[in-house]
Amino acid sequence: MLASIPSATLHGVDGRPVAVEVHVSNGLPGFTVVGLPDAAVRESRDRVRAAVLSSRLPWPKHRVTVNLAPSGRRKGGSGLDLPIAVAVLVADGSVAEGDVEDTAFIGELGLDGSLRPVPGVVPMVAALSCRRVVVPVECASEARLVGGHEVRGAASLGQLVPALRGQGPWADTSDSRPETILPPLPDLADIRGQPVGRRALEVAAAGGHHLLLVGPPGSGKTMLATRLPGILPPLGRDDALAVTRIHSAAGVGLAGGELAQRPPFRAPHHGTTEVSLIGGGTAWLRPGEISLAHCGVLFLDELGEFPAVALDMLRQPLEEGVVRIRRARRAIDLPARFLLVGAMNPCPCGEGSVPGACRCTDAARARYARRLSAPFLDRFDLALSLGRPDVDDLLGGRPGETSIMVAERVRFARLVAADRGVRCNADIPSHALDELCPLSPEGAALLERRLRAGALSARGLHRIRRVARTLGDLDDAGSLIGERQVAEALHLRDAGSVRSHGPSS
Amino acid sequence: MTSTTFLNDDERYAASIAALGAGPARLRRFLEGYEPRAAWDALARGRHPADPEARYRSKARPALVDAVEARCAGRGIGVRILGRSGYPATLAADHEAPGVLFTLGDPSFIDSRPRVAIVGTRSATPYGLSVASELGAALSEAGVVVISGLARGIDSAGHAGVLAASQGAPPVAVIGTALDAPARQAERQLQQGVAQTGAVLSERAPGSTGTPVWLFAVRSRIMAALAHVVVVVECHRKGGSLNTVKCAVDRGVAVAAVPGSVRSSASMGCNALLVDGAVPVRDVGDVIAAVELAIAGRSEILPPRSPDRAPFVRGGTAHGAEGSARALNRISARTLDALDHDPASLDAIVGRCALPLTDVALALEQLAAAGLASGAGGWWSRQGR
Repeated sequence: MLASIPSATLHGVDGRPVAVEVHVSNGLPGFTVVGLPDAAVRESRDRVRAAVLSSRLPWPKHRVTVNLAPSGRRKGGSGLDLPIAVAVLVADGSVAEGDVEDTAFIGELGLDGSLRPVPGVVPMVAALSCRRVVVPVECASEARLVGGHEVRGAASLGQLVPALRGQGPWADTSDSRPETILPPLPDLADIRGQPVGRRALEVAAAGGHHLLLVGPPGSGKTMLATRLPGILPPLGRDDALAVTRIHSAAGVGLAGGELAQRPPFRAPHHGTTEVSLIGGGTAWLRPGEISLAHCGVLFLDELGEFPAVALDMLRQPLEEGVVRIRRARRAIDLPARFLLVGAMNPCPCGEGSVPGACRCTDAARARYARRLSAPFLDRFDLALSLGRPDVDDLLGGRPGETSIMVAERVRFARLVAADRGVRCNADIPSHALDELCPLSPEGAALLERRLRAGALSARGLHRIRRVARTLGDLDDAGSLIGERQVAEALHLRDAGSVRSHGPSS
Repeated sequence: MTSTTFLNDDERYAASIAALGAGPARLRRFLEGYEPRAAWDALARGRHPADPEARYRSKARPALVDAVEARCAGRGIGVRILGRSGYPATLAADHEAPGVLFTLGDPSFIDSRPRVAIVGTRSATPYGLSVASELGAALSEAGVVVISGLARGIDSAGHAGVLAASQGAPPVAVIGTALDAPARQAERQLQQGVAQTGAVLSERAPGSTGTPVWLFAVRSRIMAALAHVVVVVECHRKGGSLNTVKCAVDRGVAVAAVPGSVRSSASMGCNALLVDGAVPVRDVGDVIAAVELAIAGRSEILPPRSPDRAPFVRGGTAHGAEGSARALNRISARTLDALDHDPASLDAIVGRCALPLTDVALALEQLAAAGLASGAGGWWSRQGR
């Protein structure tokens, strides 16, 4: 009268194996679930009972106790409906123990016995060590991405039970669909003029440098940022798996249940809450936007409108590539290695980058500048002041280079960087700068001039050297960083401090 | 009573009354017909006729007197009372003169010298900033006291020019905040410089916090009252500088304006003033002429020395820069050609040059090092004569 069925729940972006134990014993008929279930799991009692009865299967007229082991850890989500139902049927004798041997179940039940898809199938299946996994038919292709399991799909409990007994067919889960063709990404060729913006985008993609775009409304900040995924190299196998797991865990749609191929592009609205940006929450620690942008681009438009607290929370993930979420009872590290692109107006009226055009009061400008802390702004390797594009460029200008051509240079520069043993140039540690980014005498002299003029901080100096390294890689200019690269790097960081906007003295 | 003796009794109580935070008109009524000590006592008892509702009684505590004196002593702030010696006579003659004036530096030189106020927008272009700075330097060297407000933009540039000039007349700054109010670093350095060579004036008592908008408006009247000529260098269509102009017009003080491009938003106010009859300023000589006209007949003031007329015109005539430009390489020369005295975005310059950014970036650095170009925040313009 005892059964134990393996299943899994979500914890952040990881699956945690759970053993669903059911004991059916004499006593007053009743149904209790123990083992720290959350609200969704507690409700599953009613769903499971109704589903079993609707599927014309017997429900034990005895006392039913469900334990979710390990019982010390909180469990959430509706994916435990199916394993509970199967465990009850096995404990009651409706399904033979041999039929479910070495088989795990994941899925939500409807009152009519139908099986419904749940988020996070990829990490949950990855956490299971058994031979066979049964999931809702819609999740089957996602579950197969993990590999190493025999994945079975079922559309309803009524179909599942005969299939387990070998008396009926499994649901058809073969991928008969044609391979999904991803819609084309926005292309750089659409951008007329803006040579500096284009170059900065290329450098950001090649070196993994965070990019800040400062400009009046209509200067093409968003247009530039949305072109970035198109020139980033496609995801490698490991990155693709990581991205797929995160997106699966967050319940964010994966195109056709396939591995993610493209770097994700996330652009949360500035009304977003801290938790949705960073990750966390109560039910289960959900990955935030910064984790969804893992291996891709996080685009924060109207940076000045984001809550200052939320932006400062980005500093640690920006440094480390993971976000360490700590709650009183739970702790989790979520991957969050993303390329940050920020866009903002120079001041509240939006015209502040054009000398003499700003109409804001001093107080308004100071208030606006205070929203972004200096340490946060310091994280941007590239900071551009954009003007509105020329009318001539918009109407008559030649279309620029296409994304494919730029992506080829980016790919080459990333290969050069990989030879140095770093993922990209932005990751070069400061102690390795002298070794990996040696300066030519002219380049050093130029930097020294800027330092002496007080126009550059020590941290800024490091960032300039990394960007100059990327510029050298892009232009295939050899191992020594010359004056030319340093000069360009300086110009690509000209709007580094919003406070310095416009001539102020 | 107090252990410190930095201020005399009158100054101590006049400063304390100013620290009560009343507006300029009420402050004058507080002091009219009273010795400062008596006025303070009347306020503290709620018996002052200018304060019939005794609104200031709760603020007029002995602790305030000590605090104000300590602040004055800490920063070396002087207190000048309207109608007493030490108060600038020029200002005392004004119908809206502040009842109490706080000073850093000795303002006694003000009455005997020709004076010009340089005002303008905070959001200035490099054109306006360089004109203000050159004007400040040239006027100072001609023996003219330059009055300004130390605000960001034109005001600061004017005074920076004065401080850079050799052997110039002392400058005067009139600020809207208290003399010990926290300021940005650049502002603070400038204020120290002006205080050392000239004088900084404020009608706000030390320790006053917050700067109501009206304070900047009312300090304009002090600048207008002190100046023989008010020069507006750059001003938007509805700029705060126009408030100074209005105060000057009310007092019959001559207004001069530097013309600017009709396309520049920062020059719209100036160009409108010129249409309305302000004196056009082509060079420092135009300002000097206006000053001479303003002080004609007033024998107690020295006329300014006539300086060599230094026109603001740049490029073409000066040979030094052309010579060094010739020494530049082809790419730098092409980049210099793409630069103008109006600032342009890096994007626009790269577009004009039709060269890769990396070439233009290097060329701009070389031009900047040679003093031929200047840029800030991604906007670049031609520099030098």
